[in-house]
Amino acid sequence: MRLTQGTFSFLPDLTDEQISSQLEYCLKNGWSINVEYTDCPHPRNSYWEMWNMPMFDIADPIAILAEIDACRRAHPHRYIKVNAYNSARGRETVALSFLVNRPAREPGFRLDRQEAGGRTIRYTLHSYATDKPEGERYGNS
Amino acid sequence: MLTTDAGIDMDAALRESNVEDVLGELDAELIGLAPVKLRIRQISALLLVERLRAQMGLTTAPPCLHMCFTGRPGTGKTTVALRMAKMLHRLGYVRRGHLVVATRDDLVGQYVGHTAPKTKEMLQKAIGGVLFIDEAYYLHRAENERDYGPEAIEVLLQFMENRRDDLVVILAGYKDRMDSFFHSNPGMHSRIAHHVDFPDYTLDELMAIAELMARQQMYTFDEDSRAAFGEYLRLRAGQPHFANARSVRNAIDRIRLRQAVRLVEQGGRISGEELARIDAADIRQSRVFQGNSAAAAEASARSLL
Amino acid sequence: MSKNLTANERYRAGVIPYAKMGYWEPDYIPKDTDVLALFRVTPQEGVDPLEAAAAVAGESSTATWTVVWTDRLTACEIYRAKAYRVDAVPNSEGQYFAHIAYDLDLFEEGSIANLTASIIGNVFGFKAIKALRLEDMRIPVAYLKTFQGPATGVVVERERLDKFGRPLLGATVKPKLGLSGKNYGRVVYEALKGGLDFTKDDENINSQPFMRWRDRYLYAMEAVNRASAATGEVKGHYLNVTAGTMEGMYERADFAKELGSVIIMVDLVAGYTAIQSIAAWARRNDMILHLHRAGNSTYARQKNHGMSFRVICKWMRMAGVDHLHAGTVVGKLEGDPLMIRGFYDTLREPETPVRLENGLFFEQNWASLRMVMPVASGGIHAGQMHQLLHYLGEDVILQFGGGTIGHPQGIEAGAAANRVAVEAMVQARNEGRDYLKEGPEILERAAKWCAPLQAALDTWKDITFDYTSTDTADFVPVATPTY
Repeated sequence: MRLTQGTFSFLPDLTDEQISSQLEYCLKNGWSINVEYTDCPHPRNSYWEMWNMPMFDIADPIAILAEIDACRRAHPHRYIKVNAYNSARGRETVALSFLVNRPAREPGFRLDRQEAGGRTIRYTLHSYATDKPEGERYGNS
Repeated sequence: MLTTDAGIDMDAALRESNVEDVLGELDAELIGLAPVKLRIRQISALLLVERLRAQMGLTTAPPCLHMCFTGRPGTGKTTVALRMAKMLHRLGYVRRGHLVVATRDDLVGQYVGHTAPKTKEMLQKAIGGVLFIDEAYYLHRAENERDYGPEAIEVLLQFMENRRDDLVVILAGYKDRMDSFFHSNPGMHSRIAHHVDFPDYTLDELMAIAELMARQQMYTFDEDSRAAFGEYLRLRAGQPHFANARSVRNAIDRIRLRQAVRLVEQGGRISGEELARIDAADIRQSRVFQGNSAAAAEASARSLL
Repeated sequence: MSKNLTANERYRAGVIPYAKMGYWEPDYIPKDTDVLALFRVTPQEGVDPLEAAAAVAGESSTATWTVVWTDRLTACEIYRAKAYRVDAVPNSEGQYFAHIAYDLDLFEEGSIANLTASIIGNVFGFKAIKALRLEDMRIPVAYLKTFQGPATGVVVERERLDKFGRPLLGATVKPKLGLSGKNYGRVVYEALKGGLDFTKDDENINSQPFMRWRDRYLYAMEAVNRASAATGEVKGHYLNVTAGTMEGMYERADFAKELGSVIIMVDLVAGYTAIQSIAAWARRNDMILHLHRAGNSTYARQKNHGMSFRVICKWMRMAGVDHLHAGTVVGKLEGDPLMIRGFYDTLREPETPVRLENGLFFEQNWASLRMVMPVASGGIHAGQMHQLLHYLGEDVILQFGGGTIGHPQGIEAGAAANRVAVEAMVQARNEGRDYLKEGPEILERAAKWCAPLQAALDTWKDITFDYTSTDTADFVPVATPTY
């Protein structure tokens, strides 16, 4: 399975050069950047782990790529994404968000159905990875 | 890459790099500083030739670019650092050419574990440009054992060594204190490629700066006041805490104040020429002329001269 | 009080021209709290334009065709609408723009029904006027603050979907009518699994003999959840809750919520009050509300008579919808690019200035009412992605009904083609490429590794819809380029 979260996940995984281009675009727009990672890719998981602090006032994408690489080295088997944040009035939200790392194997989700009244079904998604405890889900990190 | 036979059109290379523009801006913006401008010109020539040699395949390692600017306050160190950042950018040594100014407080933390991320944050912002660390010797407070300065120095050293392509560091401060800083931190000393000393402005140069500042604010000196100001400078420069151009700016501000008071007390009809003119009296009221150098120095430190 | 008449003259029984009754006040300066309206007035032969404008002001506020003494029991100065400015329409003989101001006290707080009944409820049939069009309105901040505004808004919608930085993609289930619930769900599943963010009930899919609403809801939500599991994304299907009664609508909305849908839809023909109610319900129940502008072309399309769609945009933003169909520029339905820009800005911007070439006649501050996501739907396909991104921007829902379901390799492939096209185009735009010019090349390059996109481009590359628009700007030459 291939998790298709993030703005560019239907394209082949971005090269570092392509990531740098996107970061240039974000910096040009004055957006601050942060890197996050997780081993729980449920679509309603709003809070991935932050890798260090968000970066403000950066002039060169190289600084951010260094952080991405450091995160990849520390957590090679987790989903890692980059978010760009627009703090302008009326917006105050993420402007761009895309994956920069995936685990080698993505087992995906199971759809659990609980039959309720009439023909109604209560659905919930269950990520296969979370059958294992944190730290053991996608390889040892 | 060019072959060693093809040769290079130096004039074209110079034109393309636009280095002359930056040097021209430097000339226009800063009065005097002839030795500094010469030094900068030398460095820029070296950097240009380094780049051309690299194109010819004649270099092995990327050049070390970190610098140290020594001199008293107000001698133009920050301004030159800004121009240097532009120059490095024009010559292709840094990608962005912006300047980030940092002091000890930006780099050193107040508790364990605070320093490394703080220093790193400053460095991240400076990547692609120049990090200018003013009064860099304060990073190392030898008398305080629990000082976290050395941690910042460690992080800096690593960056200066490993990330040479991404960032240039310029340290700055008084010459004697920088010398002892380097003495205690040989690692730092070995990473500095270029030392530039910023001598104090000459009295003539300071006078010219004063004239320029006055003119910019639509004031004029007459013969008497010009002579008075010349004397003022001579006396003041000899006293401690003299900050060159900055001191001149402060002096002009105080002169304007005294002129205003004089005109108000004078009353009656005042011409436009009088409103613009600085009189010798506006200058001679300064404590500097009263010969008490200790009081004068103290008052100066509180910008009252 | 009208300048020219004394109280005695003004209120003597009989008929007086509207302009003398106080409805024409050229020196009136509109207050910040006034509601302003701009009408395009075509007076009957022989009717003075100022009198016509005054008549419109009168008939949309307090006037009757003859003087009534009971006026004097009221502070009638306030309740009279005032026509304060009349301009000839450029290049249109016999048409005039009339600016009219209405005091805030004329309107019930938080009621679109009342606002509309007041402004358009009476005046359009008036015989002295050959044709009349409500072009634009300025809603004062004071009045806006009595409305809920969009239940969810663009920012929160994106946060709920966790989708940022690109247009969202949707598709109306086709064929429009006739599928049973189970087969309907199949289309939803294939399209969402393939890569679209949303699928949609059509405006006339409510509850018919061939498919009752409960079956549709059950099967659609099965499909939505299956697709979500397959992709790891939040997906949605706009369940149409429009019904014959408000009670019916609530019943349907509640069921949609029970089944875990993130979004419901309603048709414009449900009526302003129903829409406001369901918008309030949507806010209370954390549901995104999509509005289909069914029926608006009956009155919005002709320049001389009816109501401009931009007024609907304003009213619907106030009423509280989160999505509104607002034109595609390059698709099969009516849409001049300049006018559409005006609609989109009205829905999406925190405030809009006067911009006559986009049909924005008033400065409009939206008082921090949330932003509505415009929806572009109707005859668009992946091959137009560069134009769509250029004309419509990023905060938009691109709906490719035929363009997904009509794909030669199937619905899933159609969806993937659209998704790859939009992502590739956004990537190229961010990289700084001139994507409008290089669009076809960018799509070709992506198509090399995405066979469905190649098939889509091959199938539809020559499709364009080239007709001259009927609703065009007054303030530029009428001929606009066709695509």
